[in-house]
Amino acid sequence: MNPVGDIVTGINNGMREIWANKVRSVLSMSGIILGVAALVSMVGIVQGMLSTMRESFEQSGGVLKLEVHPKDAPESQQHIAGISPSMTWRDYIAIKKAIPLAKYTTPIVDMRWSRFVAQGRREGAMIDGVTPEHNNIETREIEYGRFIADIDIRQKSPVIVIGTHLRDELFPELQSAVGQKMRMQGQVYTIVGQFVEEQSLPGQKRRWNIENRKNYMPATTAMSRFQGDDKVNEIHIIAYQREDLPDLINQIENTLTRTHRGINDFEIRTQEDQLAELKKLENSFIYSLGGIAGISLIVGGIGIMNVMLASVSERIREIGVRKAIGARSYDIFIQFLFESIVTSVLGGIVGLAVSVGLLSIAQNLIPEGQAISIFPISAMFYGFLFSSTIGFISGIYPAMRAARLDPIDALRYE
Amino acid sequence: MTDSENIFQLKDLRRTYIVGSEKVHALDGIDLTITNREFIAVIGTSGSGKSTLMNMLGFMDSPTSGQMEFEDKDVTGIDGSGRARLRANRIGFVFQSFNLLPRLNVLDNVLLPLSYSTKKFNNHHDLGLEALERVGMTHRASHTPNQLSGGERQRVAIARSLINNPRLILADEPTGNLDSKNRGRIMELFASLMSEGITLALVTHDDAVADYAQRKIRMEDGRIIEDSKS
Ligand SMILES: Nc1ncnc2c1ncn2[C@@H]1O[C@H](COP(=O)(O)OP(=O)(O)OP(=O)(O)O)[C@@H](O)[C@H]1O
Ligand SMILES: [Mg+2]
Repeated sequence: MNPVGDIVTGINNGMREIWANKVRSVLSMSGIILGVAALVSMVGIVQGMLSTMRESFEQSGGVLKLEVHPKDAPESQQHIAGISPSMTWRDYIAIKKAIPLAKYTTPIVDMRWSRFVAQGRREGAMIDGVTPEHNNIETREIEYGRFIADIDIRQKSPVIVIGTHLRDELFPELQSAVGQKMRMQGQVYTIVGQFVEEQSLPGQKRRWNIENRKNYMPATTAMSRFQGDDKVNEIHIIAYQREDLPDLINQIENTLTRTHRGINDFEIRTQEDQLAELKKLENSFIYSLGGIAGISLIVGGIGIMNVMLASVSERIREIGVRKAIGARSYDIFIQFLFESIVTSVLGGIVGLAVSVGLLSIAQNLIPEGQAISIFPISAMFYGFLFSSTIGFISGIYPAMRAARLDPIDALRYE
Repeated sequence: MTDSENIFQLKDLRRTYIVGSEKVHALDGIDLTITNREFIAVIGTSGSGKSTLMNMLGFMDSPTSGQMEFEDKDVTGIDGSGRARLRANRIGFVFQSFNLLPRLNVLDNVLLPLSYSTKKFNNHHDLGLEALERVGMTHRASHTPNQLSGGERQRVAIARSLINNPRLILADEPTGNLDSKNRGRIMELFASLMSEGITLALVTHDDAVADYAQRKIRMEDGRIIEDSKS
């Protein structure tokens, strides 16, 4: 009578009982199977989505990023708003020169949708004018060539760094489009760099990625060739560490208030809101999935309890015999409890297998732009833990009924 | 441990059931001593308390009053798990309706008591085969109970009652479900086991069965009205 031996015997007996009543066992497991499968596959899908979102959040600077955007001056300043030069290249220079807490800074000259032409092919894409540090803020790997350099800024070079989308559309026969020329609004640009194609992550597939459609040119080129003035649409800044953010915001505010002659026509946006939004989304998914999973597993547990109760009344005589030959109430209790646990653990395992299958199928069915995690490990762990706990809990009452039976009555039972 | 000569000593043992407002005295003052290697047949009319007595001797039930000694120790008030321990280690049961577990094969049925016994047994498999050997059922070890005849099932049940080397085997109408040929065979088996040293108490309605015993106890209305040795 050692605990390990008891557990092994318990599992063996449970298995034997389950095997002897295959149909009934499968029916009683079905709730748990469905519950675990539903939980794990939903978590897999949601987790994939969330991790894509989080990853693109991190890649575009994460929580350390600040964005300065123009806004309308407040009512009280409306009549003098004209004295502000609004957001310009000089704001960028001022931040870069005067604020050491700013690790990287870039202006964004948003040229929106532009049409590119090369080799008789044409394709529209987004393009921004930026400075070299842009690539330290939104960290994208360059596969061929280089990113925009300081010299491009100084010389207002007609160069461009492209994503793989433009290469695919304009130079489909080329692996690297570096060195090729394109025309945009009648002007010729040389491609000097090409980003790595945004690829799938482990467990993710076919990520249709907006990142591959982003293209960049020197901010100074954009301003002088297209805009004709030194206005910028946004300024992006990245801090060294999170604790610096309040001071950094303060300093930017002071600097820009000076360059804007006291007109409050800009705002500094942090990514905290976005992060909070992301967290909220994650939490709401966790709670709603947890709720659904909890309910279905409870339903599964009730199913198991039901079958266990039926099994107890079917085996009253067996219980009587076992007690007569020396089983204590405790032994009977353990026997039925183990049967319930083994049933639901098996159900849990089958549910996990089903969920992996479902996720693999889902991966091939979902629309592009979505991602899926085929092995959501923590969900699998919790699903398994939860199903064994359910088996334990729903086994207690039937096992108690079995254990409490009086051996004489049980043996007399027809 | 050397076994004491006395197995049971019952003094003024009573078992009273309360059904509604009525009291049923199933055992109404039993004085009885059972010693080593006795072969006892308990006889009597229906409802005279035979099964109640067997349940009491088998630690399946507790007396309402009186005193009960087992192997010279007072066991009158022992609790449920104490009684289970005694059933597991010291008592063997044979039932009228065999009560083999249909899902287990013959050998596993025979071995079942060992999983509840606190005695140490070394080679379960061999012990089981040995017990089956004693009842002549070795060749059926891997069969399931419903593949056996009634007489064969009862043999297996007897092997099961022998497996833990019990001090006392209790059999409540062990031949009640058997035809006369099998009844004779089972009684021959019991008689031969007696010569190997077991102690047996059985209940029967059948005088031919009772004649195998050396001691006959006749019951009526919960009392022993006759106790004769041959
Ligand atoms: N659980 C019970 N509740 C109430 N009365 C009971 C109970 N068990 C037995 N009795 C009563 O006790 C008396 C003795 O019953 P017992 O079963 O010992 O008789 P028996 O001698 O074995 O009879 P039979 O030969 O028919 O098996 C009977 O009157 C019976 O009705
Ligand atoms: Mg009876």
